[in-house]
Amino acid sequence: MSFFAITGAIEQGLVYGLMTLGVFITFRVLDFPDLTVDGSLPLGAAVSSVCITNGLDPWLSLLPAMVAGFLAGMVTGLLTTRLKILHLLASILTMTALYSVNIMVMGGRPNVPLINSPTVFGPARKLVASLGVSPWLTSSFLFLFLVLAVVAALIWLMRTEFGQALLATGDNPRMITSLGVNTGFTIVVGVGLSNSLVSLCGALVAQNQGTAEVSMGVGTIVAGLASIVVGETLFGGRRIVTRIVSVVVGSILYRLAIATALSLNVFKPSNLNLVTASIVVAALSLPRLKAFIRNRGYRQKRNV
Amino acid sequence: MYNPSHLEATVPAMPPMAAVGVPTVNMLEATSLVKYFDRGTVNEVLALDGVDLRVQPGEFVCIIGSNGAGKSTLMGCISGCSPPDYGRTVLDGHDITFWPEYRRASLIGRVFQDPLAGTCSSMTIEENMALALRRGRQRGFRRGVTNSERELFRTSLSKLDLGLEHRLPDQVGLLSGGQRQSITLLMATLIKPKLLLLDEHTASLDPKTAELNMKLTCELVEEERLTTLMITHNMQQAISYGHRLIMLHQGRIILDFDQEAKKRLTVRDLLQHFHSAASDLSNSISDRLLLG
Repeated sequence: MSFFAITGAIEQGLVYGLMTLGVFITFRVLDFPDLTVDGSLPLGAAVSSVCITNGLDPWLSLLPAMVAGFLAGMVTGLLTTRLKILHLLASILTMTALYSVNIMVMGGRPNVPLINSPTVFGPARKLVASLGVSPWLTSSFLFLFLVLAVVAALIWLMRTEFGQALLATGDNPRMITSLGVNTGFTIVVGVGLSNSLVSLCGALVAQNQGTAEVSMGVGTIVAGLASIVVGETLFGGRRIVTRIVSVVVGSILYRLAIATALSLNVFKPSNLNLVTASIVVAALSLPRLKAFIRNRGYRQKRNV
Repeated sequence: MYNPSHLEATVPAMPPMAAVGVPTVNMLEATSLVKYFDRGTVNEVLALDGVDLRVQPGEFVCIIGSNGAGKSTLMGCISGCSPPDYGRTVLDGHDITFWPEYRRASLIGRVFQDPLAGTCSSMTIEENMALALRRGRQRGFRRGVTNSERELFRTSLSKLDLGLEHRLPDQVGLLSGGQRQSITLLMATLIKPKLLLLDEHTASLDPKTAELNMKLTCELVEEERLTTLMITHNMQQAISYGHRLIMLHQGRIILDFDQEAKKRLTVRDLLQHFHSAASDLSNSISDRLLLG
């Protein structure tokens, strides 16, 4: 595998690490399987790209992208908490609706090219060059900086009163309601927060690859879950700090594994989603499989 | 109402209420609570049939009744987790009739039957207690657990004599059901509630642990003079503890013993009441069938 393939995979792992952190908030903290992310990733890309082509600063364009993602997450949250639609179904509904919304945002087209537009990497390139680092690594450095900032912010948030209420909402909603927390509120804010991170990721990916596409969100949730389970399998910590950091490391390792497999021609790029889904199935069934094997050994001993 | 004055006193008495003889404002006033389940369907059930309940400050009320009598429904109506269809609830002068469950939590401490239901297993002991310490308060971006709070939790946990005061950063999921229920009790009373609701909170524990938790309940309730409602299926418990005993049947309060009457009550008497209530049941069914 070439140096460029490795750095490319790390770069992808870092930027999609933001998405994975978002999926972590819903899937692990709130225990809310949220498929909205397949729609909110291209939503962030679309909003940021349209803002840039209309002359907004690329850095500032990240803000409306995150706000749009937050609103998309809120819709899923409200469908669940107010209309009592099953969370999984609610998120599928939002995701489906977002497909149309994303095309609407992009002015009726399925993509917005950013080839000749300014991006966040322009000013960053000069800064990185002044540090004596190859400009090729600009986006990696930028993503690393952003991921570290988000990781620090999430660790801080999870230790606050509100963060503790979020964790309790996912663990035991009945208990935390009896302690005075409106779980409807924590779920809506939590899912919104998650999707704002996913949209931020989408905006950065679009600026990095030079185009926003309506189809770029396909498989986001599966990649996010795969990254989470890779991180958890390798670290398996219970403390929130360990869990958050392992999510990002999992994202990088997941992208490295994919790049390795592709470079060795283990499978074709079009098989990627099938392979990823299989990884998630294997990882999620691992605890049951372990228990099964353990119990079988026990039974055999008793039969002797 | 049935007066069991001829019966012998067989159980130790609770210390008398402080406010006996003094006119007091009721802590809880539940007025004509009515609750249907599956209203308007063939499965319609009238779970509460106009329950009126007045509880004085500091009063400890035991609630008994057969399965489906409406005990848990009554508690659900008061805690707000399943609000009544009709009726009014006033707690400590606040009309909480239309308050959602999470808002009522500012006034009410609760312990559930399931010993795992009152705590978060993936969170630590100190985090769980810190969540309880903020019951009914706005949760912002201050620290979730502070050092001064840890000191408070240690003092509080040392009351249990389980050594948990040395295990603050341990996950609650590592503890036994009995230990978790003890912590839940502490959590429910960490901030003095206007009303403590105990829904068969010792029923799922082994006899020894149940006794320990019941002892702890009494200590906490007496220490703070908490107004308490306790559902129990244990007749002896219902007789031994509390200032007052009420029996629910078919969504109505059919018996209400005050402290004096309760002293003379035996388990056998209570069982007799259960049986006579059950025979009433068959009568009332035929009445309902005949009269529509």
